[in-house]
Amino acid sequence: MVFDYAPFLIEAGKIKEFAKALQLENPIYRDEETAKSAGYRGIPVPPTFMTVIDFWNDRNFYQFFADFLKLNPNHVLHGEQSYEYHKVILAGDTIAAQVRVKEQFHKKGKNFFLLETIYRNQWNEITAVGRATIIEIAEVD
Amino acid sequence: MNRITDFQEGDSLPPIQLAPVTRLDLIKYAGASGDFNPIHTIDAEAEGAGLPGIIAHGMWTMGNLAKIFTPYLEEGFIQDYAIRFKGMVFLEDVITLKATVVEKKQRQVIFQVQAVNQSDKDVLKGDLVFLL
Repeated sequence: MVFDYAPFLIEAGKIKEFAKALQLENPIYRDEETAKSAGYRGIPVPPTFMTVIDFWNDRNFYQFFADFLKLNPNHVLHGEQSYEYHKVILAGDTIAAQVRVKEQFHKKGKNFFLLETIYRNQWNEITAVGRATIIEIAEVD
Repeated sequence: MNRITDFQEGDSLPPIQLAPVTRLDLIKYAGASGDFNPIHTIDAEAEGAGLPGIIAHGMWTMGNLAKIFTPYLEEGFIQDYAIRFKGMVFLEDVITLKATVVEKKQRQVIFQVQAVNQSDKDVLKGDLVFLL
C-alpha cells in the first residue's frame, strides 16, 4: 500500500530558511550564482531537505500517520534514517513523493515501522530514496 | 582549504563543535522543517511524554551533521547518508560533529559519521558516501 504525498514546489526561500535554521553557511544554498559556479544548474537543497517535503506538502506526513498508519505522529520515535541520492533537487523543481510501509513488526513490546519514501521530480526521475525506522511509544498518562 | 581527495583512510575531516543547543534553535528548525511535534519545543508536552525536558529533533542533528561536508560541495556529491539515532539531545548540550574516512575507492570516499555530546556519548552514528 502506497501513500502519495502532494506534489511540492521547491522554493528558493524555503531552501534558504532550512539552511539558515541549521546554520549551513555555504552560500550555495541561498545564492544562485554561487551554486552555478559550483557546477549546479540552480540552488540545490541541503542533504536532509526531504524532511521538508514530507512535512510541508498538502497531503503530508501527519495525514499519512493519522489516516493510513492510524498512529499519533507525536507518539513515535525516529530510530534510523537513510537517504540514497540519485539526482540533486534544485529550487524550481516539483517533487512528488510516495511513501510505503516496507515492513512492520513487534519487538520488545514496541511496534516498529520501516518506511520507504521515493522522491520523483517533474520529469518523473527518482531524485532520492529515504528509509526510516519509526518506533511507536506508549502514551504516558 | 583541504579537498576530500586529500584525505586518506583513517583521516578525519575537521570536527565542528556546535554552540549549546537553545530552544530557539529548535523552534526555528520546527518551522523550517514542518515537524511540529511539541516534545521538541514545549516543556509540558515533553514531560507529558515522560521526558525530562524538550529534546532536539533527530533530524536537526542529522541535518547539522551534513555541515561537516558542505565546504566540499564543489568537489562532488553525497551519494548515500545513513544514520542511527543513538541518544537524545537536550537543551544546553554541546554537540560535536565528526567524520572519518573508513574506505577510499576510485570515485567514492566512505566516511563514518558521528555526533557526540559533551560527555562524549554518541547521539547519532552512521555512514556517508561522498561521490567525487
